[in-house]
Amino acid sequence: MNLSLPPILVLLVFPGGLFLIASGLIYQWADRKLVARFQNRIGPRFIQPLADTLKLLAKEEITPVGVHKGLFFALPVIALAAALTAGLYVPLSGFRPAASFRGDLIIALYALSVLTLTMGLAGANTISRFSLVGATRTLTQLFSYEAPFLLSLLGPAIAAGTWQISEINTYAGQNLWLIIAQPIGFLVALIGLMGKLELPPFDAPEAETEIVAGAMTEYSGRGFALFRLGKDVELIIGLTLVSAFYLGGLGNPLEFVLKTLALLLVLALLQTAFARLRIDQTVGLWWRAGALLAVVQLIAIVLGRNLGTIF
Amino acid sequence: MTADTNKFVIPIGPQHPALKEPANFEFWVDGEIVTGASVRLGYVHRGIEKGAEARTWTQNLYLMERICGICSHVHATAYTLGVEKLAGVEVPPRANAIRQLMAELERIHSHMLWLGVAAHEGGFDTLFMYSWRDRETVMDLLEKISGNKVHYSANLLGGVKFDITPELAAEVHKGLDFLEERNRFYLKVVTTDETFIGRTRDIGTMTTEKAEFLGAIGPTARASGVARDIRVDAPYLTYDQFPVKVMTHTSGDLHGRFIVRIHETFESIRVIREILDHIPQGDLTTRVPRRIPAGEAVSRVEAPRGELLYFIASNGSEKPERVKVRTPSLCNWSTVLSLAIGLKLADMPMLLSGIDPCFSCNDRSIRLKRGQQDPQVWSWEKLRQYGIEYYR
Repeated sequence: MNLSLPPILVLLVFPGGLFLIASGLIYQWADRKLVARFQNRIGPRFIQPLADTLKLLAKEEITPVGVHKGLFFALPVIALAAALTAGLYVPLSGFRPAASFRGDLIIALYALSVLTLTMGLAGANTISRFSLVGATRTLTQLFSYEAPFLLSLLGPAIAAGTWQISEINTYAGQNLWLIIAQPIGFLVALIGLMGKLELPPFDAPEAETEIVAGAMTEYSGRGFALFRLGKDVELIIGLTLVSAFYLGGLGNPLEFVLKTLALLLVLALLQTAFARLRIDQTVGLWWRAGALLAVVQLIAIVLGRNLGTIF
Repeated sequence: MTADTNKFVIPIGPQHPALKEPANFEFWVDGEIVTGASVRLGYVHRGIEKGAEARTWTQNLYLMERICGICSHVHATAYTLGVEKLAGVEVPPRANAIRQLMAELERIHSHMLWLGVAAHEGGFDTLFMYSWRDRETVMDLLEKISGNKVHYSANLLGGVKFDITPELAAEVHKGLDFLEERNRFYLKVVTTDETFIGRTRDIGTMTTEKAEFLGAIGPTARASGVARDIRVDAPYLTYDQFPVKVMTHTSGDLHGRFIVRIHETFESIRVIREILDHIPQGDLTTRVPRRIPAGEAVSRVEAPRGELLYFIASNGSEKPERVKVRTPSLCNWSTVLSLAIGLKLADMPMLLSGIDPCFSCNDRSIRLKRGQQDPQVWSWEKLRQYGIEYYR
């Protein structure tokens, strides 16, 4: 579906900006509610994420001793900005992306990595010991899931013959669902998304029983609210990307809601089923299994294409 | 161990999400590897032992029950056993059987609580929520018997307050069936879940020799193959009539501690059923004099965390001369500190909770062992002067 709106609206209200943040909060609620129900808890009310955010925004922001003040204030803004920028290139709510050009897949993924990077920097910026360990773990985890996740999204890109998200989306909508054609790639993408979002069992960077809140320990008030919003936006972008690529594309809002929620259901189930992995186990899992699987899938795709042209 | 200023120290506590009660642990890390550990206890010292000297023998029963919120019955039992020994009173067998029944129900409740806490420390919140939901069953049973969920207050000096009627027995049987089924499921989870095994197997492995050397007790020692259990070694109450089997495991790691505790839960369920079916008839109480004859007594019972020891001295008056309590958590700290070295930081919360620590239990006295020049070592005169000036 196509939508023509003035660029300023596209950027600030729909589908970027406010709409993206609002849907991020709603998806955060859906995730928390699903996990809570799987764990036999009641879970939060739908207004809870918004209430949390407003409360944090209204709170006093404490600047701890020993931080670089400029970085301390700038990093949350950069984090949210990076996440919102990535949102411009993905087919949110089934409409055409707000911006599109050749190779925007790389830009979108890069913007999402910037979010994680800023969180790592924010942790390393303070002198809190929990934050430092959290920052180390965040960056370690970044290096472990990033390559397999990228490779798993390159599979559909190679199949579609383009690195433009909107065109891959169209290709996925017209052909057999890629989850059937590239099941290994889907698996790696799904687990990679969990690693990227630091969801359990990959939540070692913010393991509360060890390092309190990890890199975010020293943040309170506005900065923390912005980081959390960035995370929520990352969640919805990740869900959009994976469902657009592997679940037959996103053509209209209904398709978008159904497919991303189905994916979120699977994510929530996976979050509740395991104990937290140690950071060394996470790295081991990704480089031994994740990267290998992604490469195998990539080789299979390349072979399939080349053999297809020969015969 | 002395503090080294060049080390990167991760403090856990006194306020930390991993701890439900205050204590201070310092882990010196090199990256993620722990190179040293120290513990500082005493944040919840309440002066209970001193308080006991100002109360009568009966009042102390309620005070002792409040040493621990999880194993309240076993503290009261150890205290009454000691007092009854001093008074030379023979308690009716039915009362003893009911005490044993309560103690075993309490063990189930304590072990299921621990299972949830330990799973939570390892980031397995689903198991935490499930086990605590099912723990409600045993707490409801305790409430049905005694009217209270936490401090059942079943003991009296010389007997128990509550009888087990046939209707109650039927309800307990029903609850036990459910608990047994659920614990089978949990045993399956902790022995088959790959991520859980990854976090527990070969973590904090303690050999039998080391467990003996460090003086480990309770399920922590039994998971290392030390077959030591007061219920079997020195039967009290009706444990000779309704014996339990000592559950041991040879692995000595965290995984073994999970297995031992779940097996102990099964054993408790079995012995409760046996007591319910063959409970002796008779009175519930016998008369205990108000003044306890002078003398000293030591009573030992097996709390859910290990051996609990009470030393009681009487001078023949209405109040005890001295009550000394040694709780099991205190004996196991050295195992945590010595096993921590070489492990990952991420293993620390699970290792800590692996001994099932109970801080308010063990915080009753502090002894600072430092050099003579240390400003923390005060003479009596100096301490007294400080006290006078503080309130001036």
